[in-house]
Amino acid sequence: MATQLNLKEIERKAFRSTYQDGLWDLYLGVIVMLMAIYIHRPADGYSPMNLILLLLSFVVAFSLFWAGKKFITLPRMGQVRFGAMRKQKKTTLAIILGLVIAVQIGIVGLTALGRAIPTLSAWVSDLFNTQNLELLAVAALGSLFVGPSMILVAHFTDFPRGYYIAILMSLAVFMMIYLNQPVYAILIGALIALPGIVLFVRFLRKYPLPPPTVTHG
Amino acid sequence: MGEISESADISGLAGLDRLVHEPARLSVMALLYVVESADFTFLMNQTGLTWGNLSTHLSKLEGAGYIRVEKSFKGRRPNTTLRLSNEGREAFRTYAVKMRQIFKDIPSDR
Repeated sequence: MATQLNLKEIERKAFRSTYQDGLWDLYLGVIVMLMAIYIHRPADGYSPMNLILLLLSFVVAFSLFWAGKKFITLPRMGQVRFGAMRKQKKTTLAIILGLVIAVQIGIVGLTALGRAIPTLSAWVSDLFNTQNLELLAVAALGSLFVGPSMILVAHFTDFPRGYYIAILMSLAVFMMIYLNQPVYAILIGALIALPGIVLFVRFLRKYPLPPPTVTHG
Repeated sequence: MGEISESADISGLAGLDRLVHEPARLSVMALLYVVESADFTFLMNQTGLTWGNLSTHLSKLEGAGYIRVEKSFKGRRPNTTLRLSNEGREAFRTYAVKMRQIFKDIPSDR
């Protein structure tokens, strides 16, 4: 045979082909834009509406992503179930992300506790003696959580564009918190979504919808 | 005169499973070997085979008991899900072992 039959590569190519619709890029780009809009701190403080609208918009974005996969991608590309190795990777990722979230909750909890203890609060205030420095620390911490988490997602889901998205998401979170200007994060969200739009258009051209009357096999 | 080694015996080629050996069917079986199941459209897109060509090869593989075919409807669209049977998995493994054996001592250049 002229070409080498590499089963691992065949599986990887088949798996990565599920990303060629660009829907993940679009979805993650939109999520960053939504976060930019709703996590932005207004001068008069947060209102519960911020959180409610953020959650609602996340639900809408995910529903659109799911509908896109179900009604646009699958009829064109076909459906596939991958083997035990992929399922195991998914489980490992879920466990790691669970741990990351637990650490995040722990840090937020400790911060709240620290604020409640006057001596600790004073020590933190001394450490970050300006408001700006405190904001910088929070922004750095936020982007350090988002970036590596997305890198883990990219690694375990074999999603090469995920590394690019991880860097941009990390930058978006940093700018969102530190500068408190939604425009930067919206632009970064657009940078994430843009390749998704290109891929989506290319996908629609490459995979036309098969006629509904066709029976197979 | 030196003795001809056993590995020089090319009679093993005749024992190859011709059903698996055909390139289009080999690509279908290789793909089904690495996934749990795939539908007709996915196989067609991955292998680059035409609808009629793939359909013919799948019928042959199904006839030999190498693949299992499940037909269903997704909404109003007919859907055919395919997976390798245990016999098919074994046939693919045997084929791979034989091919490896045949090309084991092949020199990198003449």
